Amino acid sequence: MTPFLRNILVVARRDFLAIVATPSFLLFLLAPLFMVAMGLAGGMGASQLADSARGAGRIVVIADAADVEALRAADRRLRDTFRGSEAPPQLEVRLVGAAPADPRIVAREKGADTYAVMSGPLAAPRIVERNADGSSGRYLALLAGEVLRDRAAGRVAPAAPRFESLQNGGASIAAQQSIGFGAVFVIFLLTLLLAGQTVSSLAEEKGNKVIEILAAAVPLESVFLGKLLGFLGVAVLFIAFWLAMAFGGGLIAATQIDAASLAAAGKAGKAAGALASMPATGWPFFLGVGFAYFITSFLLLGAVFLGIGAQAGTVREIQMLSLPITIFQVGMFSLSAAAASAPGSGLARFAQIFPFSSPLAMAARAATDGDKAVHLLALGWQALWVALVIWLAVRLFRAGVLSGGGNWKFWARSKGR
Amino acid sequence: MNDFSVEASGLTKYFGDFKAVDHVSLAVPTGSIYGVLGPNGAGKTTSLRMTLGIIDPDEGTSRLLGGLKPQSVRGRIGYLPEERGLYPGMKAREAIAFMGALRGLDWSEGRRRAATFMSELGLERVIDEKIRKMSKGMAQMIQLIGSIVHAPDLIVLDEPFSGLDPVNQERLEMLVRREQARGATILFSTHVMAHAERLCDRIAIIARSARRFEGTVDEARALLPMQVRYTPREQGDRAAVAANLPAGAERRDDAWHFAIEDSDVEPLLARITASGHGVSGLSISRPALHDAFVHIVRQVDADFAADATEDAIEEASA
Repeated sequence: MTPFLRNILVVARRDFLAIVATPSFLLFLLAPLFMVAMGLAGGMGASQLADSARGAGRIVVIADAADVEALRAADRRLRDTFRGSEAPPQLEVRLVGAAPADPRIVAREKGADTYAVMSGPLAAPRIVERNADGSSGRYLALLAGEVLRDRAAGRVAPAAPRFESLQNGGASIAAQQSIGFGAVFVIFLLTLLLAGQTVSSLAEEKGNKVIEILAAAVPLESVFLGKLLGFLGVAVLFIAFWLAMAFGGGLIAATQIDAASLAAAGKAGKAAGALASMPATGWPFFLGVGFAYFITSFLLLGAVFLGIGAQAGTVREIQMLSLPITIFQVGMFSLSAAAASAPGSGLARFAQIFPFSSPLAMAARAATDGDKAVHLLALGWQALWVALVIWLAVRLFRAGVLSGGGNWKFWARSKGR
Repeated sequence: MNDFSVEASGLTKYFGDFKAVDHVSLAVPTGSIYGVLGPNGAGKTTSLRMTLGIIDPDEGTSRLLGGLKPQSVRGRIGYLPEERGLYPGMKAREAIAFMGALRGLDWSEGRRRAATFMSELGLERVIDEKIRKMSKGMAQMIQLIGSIVHAPDLIVLDEPFSGLDPVNQERLEMLVRREQARGATILFSTHVMAHAERLCDRIAIIARSARRFEGTVDEARALLPMQVRYTPREQGDRAAVAANLPAGAERRDDAWHFAIEDSDVEPLLARITASGHGVSGLSISRPALHDAFVHIVRQVDADFAADATEDAIEEASA
């Protein structure tokens, strides 16, 4: 092991242990639990609201007795085309003559959300609808047209389609793009949560004056890199912990599934379908390279924040710096997200080359582009930038803080001594 | 390998317009104990930092351990900074091993040596205690151990005695002598003359950013004339006694105090013996390093004051 590497590891080891061996680290580790709990509570509340509101919606046709059956049949046929939330509200058919006949009054009846009411002859119906842009009124018009067409053409035997799944024949581009976007989002979220800490990491050494011992004993480059590595270790530990939790949770859930809950099988099948829509480079490579990009993304942004934080003199300055830093991260995310949804464009090319968005954009590219060699190039390019940022940060630190140039830096107190 | 462990020449550092260090040169012979003395704010710490390559000098160079760049021999140097710093959450043993590890010492060896050192210095009770629970002096001893745990060839201590009680100061002196016996070169700064006088083979005095003296302790003391304390047996005729003594002799209680040049010792003795006033007490001694130091620093300050007056006169006449 070279002395340089050994120095890095000594610093990294100290930082890692100092962070992990504190009670507050437990809080940090478990913080996502609060997020999950809040999310669950919110989600349940929202879905209950949605549940209670659903079923109360309706569309109403006021029709002659002769048309009722035809309308119902047409509704059954058409409704089959729609899935899930796209389905039109429940159809209610009323006979003409039953009071009240005015569609506006029907629409205002209490106890149900009435989206549209159709009355009058089917050839020229009058449709009252709540939203001019809504589809309910159009659906009623379609229904009327269907009934008329049936009547004119007589009963036509329905087509007998045979559905074949495309799932194994290759992933759709849309699915790959959304996988790419997912990768961008996950890496961004993890970096946002974890890399921001590095901004305050040198504040400790400045506060307790250990920085001079470090600066005297080892090259500053290895101090910076060591700190970065220590934080990366914490981040990886954090991710590993939650992956293990998720995996364990999945196993427990798997043992709990019994025949009664086979109803969920439909959903599981869907998930399997999503899994089957492979990223272009294949799952193992994609996950591996995604992790590698997380590391370079962490190191790149972490190095920038470390360098900026090293210049800050007080805790307040560090707090002030956290906003521009977050905005910078969000900017990189937006750029990469835009690139992920337009693979092959000039914007995507830019996002892939620009060093700070490169890890995110390249992870997205791994989902849509089968070329694997380019990732080696990208990782090398990003590593080069990590080195460059560290080099620059150390230069600035030496010139500014260690030389006591400006008066707002900690070393300035030793001025003239 | 040559005979000097530290060769710094012409070190100069500006902080803004202020010249904190002005062409300071240090040459520390290998195996010696070397003191850098100076009043507060003279530029000692900045000079040491530049010597060790922690900050870059604006001018001048520093070579250590036989003409090597400071950055290339980090593992062979031990340094106690003036601003003491340890991680408060670390245990003493770990803190020492950490500082050793930074200098390339194996962790387990560092822990072992930490325990040995601490037991020797009477700190065995706190070997596994966290730094934040210790007194300032204790923490300082821990840091001192940390800076020599890897058995460095060159040990640089910035104000090592400040903040220590007399017992620990004594222990530190013992430690410094032992490290010298091991073959290490020790360079330390202080403004307490007693330690320098007892320990140092050579000293440099820095005042007002520049080096004002370099040499042995005796050479420094020789800068001032010898001090005489003479008590005549017969106190009767003061004027007659004073006539035999150099002008400016001062009488305090029964004794006369005055300074004489080295060449005047024998004539003085002859005159006193001949005078018939008798001798009930006589001491002729070199002034302490303390006096030499104060003398040098005052002289420098006086020069500065004169310069300032001249400037003021020039300005007024302009």
